[in-house]
Amino acid sequence: MDKLLEVKNLSLTRNNYCIFSNVNLNIQKGQLINIYGKNGSGKTSLLKILAGITEHTHGEIIYRNSYNKFLKKNYVGHKHGIKNNLTTYENLYYSIEPHDDFQIILDALKTYKMVNYKNSLVKNLSHGQQKRVSLMKIIMNKACLYLIDEPYSSLDEDGVMVFNKTTSELLSTGASFVITNHTKINNVFTNIINYKI
Amino acid sequence: MNFTRIINKEFKIASRSGYESFMPIIYLFIIMIFFNISISYVSKNIILELTPLMIWVSCLLICILNLETVFKEDFDDGTLEESLVDGTNQEENVIAKILSHWLLSNFPVVIIAPLIAILLGINYHTSIILFFSLLIGTPTMSLLGSIAAALTVSLKRNKILMSVIVLPLYVPILIFGTSAVNNAHVGINYHSELYFMGILFLLFLLIAPTACVKALKISLD
Repeated sequence: MDKLLEVKNLSLTRNNYCIFSNVNLNIQKGQLINIYGKNGSGKTSLLKILAGITEHTHGEIIYRNSYNKFLKKNYVGHKHGIKNNLTTYENLYYSIEPHDDFQIILDALKTYKMVNYKNSLVKNLSHGQQKRVSLMKIIMNKACLYLIDEPYSSLDEDGVMVFNKTTSELLSTGASFVITNHTKINNVFTNIINYKI
Repeated sequence: MNFTRIINKEFKIASRSGYESFMPIIYLFIIMIFFNISISYVSKNIILELTPLMIWVSCLLICILNLETVFKEDFDDGTLEESLVDGTNQEENVIAKILSHWLLSNFPVVIIAPLIAILLGINYHTSIILFFSLLIGTPTMSLLGSIAAALTVSLKRNKILMSVIVLPLYVPILIFGTSAVNNAHVGINYHSELYFMGILFLLFLLIAPTACVKALKISLD
């Protein structure tokens, strides 16, 4: 299978405290990596390193084949990355490229069952609904690698199902996902690796 | 996201934030009222000489007061992190943020300040030079201050630290700005001061976007 990037012996130390060490990962096209572990194990930090936000202390990240370190990545962290004083539609509108078709916004709203909240200010939405908007935002923008920090937190059962469905569709197109979670994920995706940190 | 879309987005957010957009103008009015009350016993000529300089100092302080907001909201809601992940156009995004911040926070002050000067009895010529010196000086202060704002964005109480960083660096802009206005008031040449301010503006326009991106990455690390 086509390798996207390889993480070799990655370590992170903060204030003389080792957050994690010797993390080895192979991320392939069309694969989902679920990084799970207890609180404070460094899941978010590892995701931030992969996103290029945080610098690692030791180890290396090797980009393979035709991909380079400027490959298109979409990232959603703990914070939702949406503006409270904009409506759901406006948040999605400003997240797409100017040349993109606006129809993708309407499709995303339908998929995530948020059409009725299209013109609601995000600050008036519940935490779970805000999470849906942030997930819609990154899934609308096509990328090689999607990095999502705890995508299942705040989502209800229906939200989880929609996220799993859209993720499976993107995986089948060759996109890769790295997500963090507190537990293993079983029997949801075909090409998944659970990595305990 | 392209340049004009970021500015459009910032204006839309500002239009829904209520009275906050008018705060810089209100600050300027309050400072000028207090200043005039406190020096009301001084002779009229001295007041006329001091007023444009006081307006300049007030604008500088207002610039510092609202510097914190350049990147803070984006940092708090997570959009800053997301914008730094995509390696393209980061400098363009930063310059659009700084421009929209200047247009929303400082440009109204640049427009109102000469009008206040005219209301306080300053002649038209000095007021026009005050306008031009602020028009060049305030964006320079915004560019320079944005670097400090980027460096301190992750700190909870960053206002004092930011002021300490930027105040000494604002001194040349303040000197050139006030001397241009003073020279115009006394009727001597003020062009060289404005040219120097223009050079400083171009210099920081070149440096600030790259410096801000680097500083933001350091702050988020």
